[in-house]
Amino acid sequence: MSYSTFNRKQFDSMKEPMFFGENVNVARYDQQKHPIFEKLIEKQLSFFWRPEEVDLSSDRKDFQKLEEHEQHIFLSNLKYQTLLDSVQGRSPNVALLPIVSLPELETWIETWSFSETIHSRSYTHIIRNIVNDPTKIFDDITVNKEITKRADSVSVYYDRLIEMVSLYNTLGLGTHHVPEHGDIEISMRSLKKALYLTVASVNVLEAIRFYVSFACSFAFAERTLMEGNAKIIKLIARDEALHLTGTQHMLNLMASGKDDPEMAIIAQECKEEMRNIFVEAAEQEKDWASYLFKDGSMIGLNAQILGQYVEYITNVRMQAVGLDTAFETKHNPIPWINAWLVSDNVQVAPQEAEISSYLVGQIDNDLSESDFDDFDL
Amino acid sequence: MTTLTSNKPDKIRDKVHRVLLGKKQILVTEDEPLLVQLEREGIHVEYQCREGYCSSCSIKLLWGQVEYPFEPLAWVQSGYMLACCAIVKSDIEIAFFSD
Repeated sequence: MSYSTFNRKQFDSMKEPMFFGENVNVARYDQQKHPIFEKLIEKQLSFFWRPEEVDLSSDRKDFQKLEEHEQHIFLSNLKYQTLLDSVQGRSPNVALLPIVSLPELETWIETWSFSETIHSRSYTHIIRNIVNDPTKIFDDITVNKEITKRADSVSVYYDRLIEMVSLYNTLGLGTHHVPEHGDIEISMRSLKKALYLTVASVNVLEAIRFYVSFACSFAFAERTLMEGNAKIIKLIARDEALHLTGTQHMLNLMASGKDDPEMAIIAQECKEEMRNIFVEAAEQEKDWASYLFKDGSMIGLNAQILGQYVEYITNVRMQAVGLDTAFETKHNPIPWINAWLVSDNVQVAPQEAEISSYLVGQIDNDLSESDFDDFDL
Repeated sequence: MTTLTSNKPDKIRDKVHRVLLGKKQILVTEDEPLLVQLEREGIHVEYQCREGYCSSCSIKLLWGQVEYPFEPLAWVQSGYMLACCAIVKSDIEIAFFSD
């Protein structure tokens, strides 16, 4: 029940479910119930980058030349991205670490969350470089009604799960009265349901909400504006593609019942609710698109096109987690986004590539006897 | 190595296979993944990572056999395939999720 940082019980972690089993004790990866999570960790580590590597000096000049309504689009989009990563930089840790039961998944959650903190640091790097007073922009995130509306919808499932898990950890199963929140029923079933819906809403955040914001960032770069920003967003998009694969695996493993048979029943029960999470998020994103373009659109993107993209990407993501698609839009209205999203032309620093002169203590093991033929002592 | 098979029997194991997509038919080889070969034919497929971890290029595999030279990181739904890293191993029929 109550969380322990080093569970003293002896148990076989290969038989534990992903969540709500025993608290993890030994961080060991020699045996893994779901090896996919370690593969995701390795991939994420291979992606490591720092925002300071990207030069933004021309973005400052570009930004000053933007029309006022374009500056509004750019800054609002950046504020939204800042909000999303503020949530993602902490919430997987706070919500999921107290209930995770597999060492490889625990470490994936930490690795995942850490990479989101790099994204948060990127936004500060960008904002510092393009405006004189970053304070105004950051302060607006907690005040601006359009942004706070989004904050509610991205944090509501996390917050509910965190509240329920903390009640479970302190008071155990049962119905507990919480001042100002009323009676809250804590059963294993209700906890698992809250978890499933949280993972679904995180998948929506990473697989839909982020992509809508990427579309805006890349629309500027399509016009050869704010290209340093686009380079950073490209690195962020590469990370997010991996994160959404992580949540898709969690959702699909849960729904399959292979990990925890009760979770399959819950996934079935929650199907309609999960569908609603996707559809509601899509509607919210379309409203957001109208807010972005309220004072005018930009070449290549307007509220209508962005709305179509929202519908399209929502369909794609719903299909990926086994839901029927919800919208009519069948084709990507902004196919140029793929060229920006593609990761294979992301520049890799020499020290990360296998260039031996850059690697510390590099030893070339691929030698044969004949390599020493011209060597005389 | 992952293999997806269907109940349709293998045709002659040639190096060139037919890919059916609606009324279109194209010929592909086993030398490259399906995605690049579809693109060369002017067929637009969604993509992002092009190395099997993002699942953007997930398309329906109605029948036929494909193989992955390495296990992709993305979850592959049953009845679907990842075009970016799948090698076509028999005649196949594919469809986009929206069809």
